[in-house]
Amino acid sequence: MSDARRVRPILRALGASWRAAWMTALAYRANFLADAVVTLFAAGATVLPVLFVFHGQETIAGWTASEALLVTGAFVVLQGLVEAAVEPNLRGLVDDIRFGTLDYVLLRPVDPQLLVSFRRLVPQRLVYSVGGFVILGVAASRLPEPPGLWAISAALTLLGVGAAVMYALWLLVVSTAFWFVRVDNLSYLLTSAMDAARWPIDVFRPVFRVLFSVVVPLGLMTTTPALALRGVLEPTSALSGLGVAVVFCAVSRAVWVRALRHYSSASS
Amino acid sequence: MLRALRAYPALLRIGFAAVVAYRAELVVWILTASMPLIMLGVFDRVADAGPVAGLDHAGVAGYFVAVLIVRQLASTWLVWELNQQIRTGALSAALLRPLHPLVWHSAETLATVPLRVVVLAPLLLPIWLWRPELQLALDPASLLVFTASVVLAWGVNFAVHTAFASLAFWLGQSMGLFQVWFGVWVLFSGYAIPLGAMPEWAQLFAEWAPFRAIIGIPADVLSGRVTLAHAPQLLAVQALWLCAFAALGGALWRRGVRRYEGQGA
Repeated sequence: MSDARRVRPILRALGASWRAAWMTALAYRANFLADAVVTLFAAGATVLPVLFVFHGQETIAGWTASEALLVTGAFVVLQGLVEAAVEPNLRGLVDDIRFGTLDYVLLRPVDPQLLVSFRRLVPQRLVYSVGGFVILGVAASRLPEPPGLWAISAALTLLGVGAAVMYALWLLVVSTAFWFVRVDNLSYLLTSAMDAARWPIDVFRPVFRVLFSVVVPLGLMTTTPALALRGVLEPTSALSGLGVAVVFCAVSRAVWVRALRHYSSASS
Repeated sequence: MLRALRAYPALLRIGFAAVVAYRAELVVWILTASMPLIMLGVFDRVADAGPVAGLDHAGVAGYFVAVLIVRQLASTWLVWELNQQIRTGALSAALLRPLHPLVWHSAETLATVPLRVVVLAPLLLPIWLWRPELQLALDPASLLVFTASVVLAWGVNFAVHTAFASLAFWLGQSMGLFQVWFGVWVLFSGYAIPLGAMPEWAQLFAEWAPFRAIIGIPADVLSGRVTLAHAPQLLAVQALWLCAFAALGGALWRRGVRRYEGQGA
């Protein structure tokens, strides 16, 4: 009961700001359409590097081109979600900390983490995720055995898990802003390191997995949905993915709570 | 011109002082150019099935080490800086100085080179330890060709940035357009994929497009895949693109400054 009482206001607040974001985006209809077309092209262009790398190769590390495109599709879906719902919020947080305007968020009677993380939405970027789903669909239809209902629902669940890990990583990076203040470029570093998650994780040798250690959970998050669609996912690795996600979310929450105590507001 | 030359050492010193002051931030920016590392990982696996475009494991490592080096040496942030200066009106103050703003920006860019080299070293060392047989063309003649090639590559890149940044005089903001160029550049410059590994139609496009003048040509020279007899032809290609983009960038800049309406102009 008490939980429900805490959840309902935040859902209402987020619902209101998301509606506002959609209305703003759709108010400029021509701009929205042009943006959507460009974004779809950009999503489609992510197929090219995979086709180029697979030029003259039957398989790489046990993946065919179509199978590797499943990973790329999953990556594009996640990236679209991050750019639409995570990045604008957490980049904004850095400014809020610097200028002390985070006070306005903390004063509200809802959980600040949720409000800070999801109050801004850039609907245009969701089109990129749609492009990712198109890539997933086309690549899945080219598999020797098109995935069944069970595989598809498993893949969608794992994509959701991947989104949670992505969000947790962002929250971890941005929480450091409470100590270092100017970390907006750390988020760009995170974005560029994430590029490794475009490729099936098996492609990289163990040496590289150490190098991209931050990216490894992400690599798993884009690779496991692809494995599910191929129908070769071991239940144990699905479960361990779930475990990683829970750990990441818990750790990022703990760091956030600690970080918030470090906030020296503008007014106190 | 003479005045610019005389002021240049001082400009470099000022630029370097700024680099030292903002070193942590710059190191992070430099590290964001990590894509060649990722592609090294990918192509190292591809090379398991035999050489790609004539590159075996050591060849792939050598190529991407060269790409990492070239990317840092031929890099500039001009389009971001100018876009901001034009939008906020900060360019007005720069135009009042007795020196051309682009001269100032070029010094600012060159002043970051020492830091870029310092950041590169710890990245390249592990690659070299991992693939000790990787080879770069480090004999005096090749190094001479490489120096010329990388200077030309930097020039082409700076001119391209000038052209795109100048569009902001009309559009207010030209970063979106530059991102489109950058996306195509990543694919067809040799930055992510060695040009020889691509399908034929893509290779043909890459050969006639300007992108490889910024990364592919100097990287091929440094990784020892260019014979000295072939080098003059490649340098000429770079020089041609430099002339073309310098003319375009210069024209856009001159016409743009005339209609610049920033604060204080």
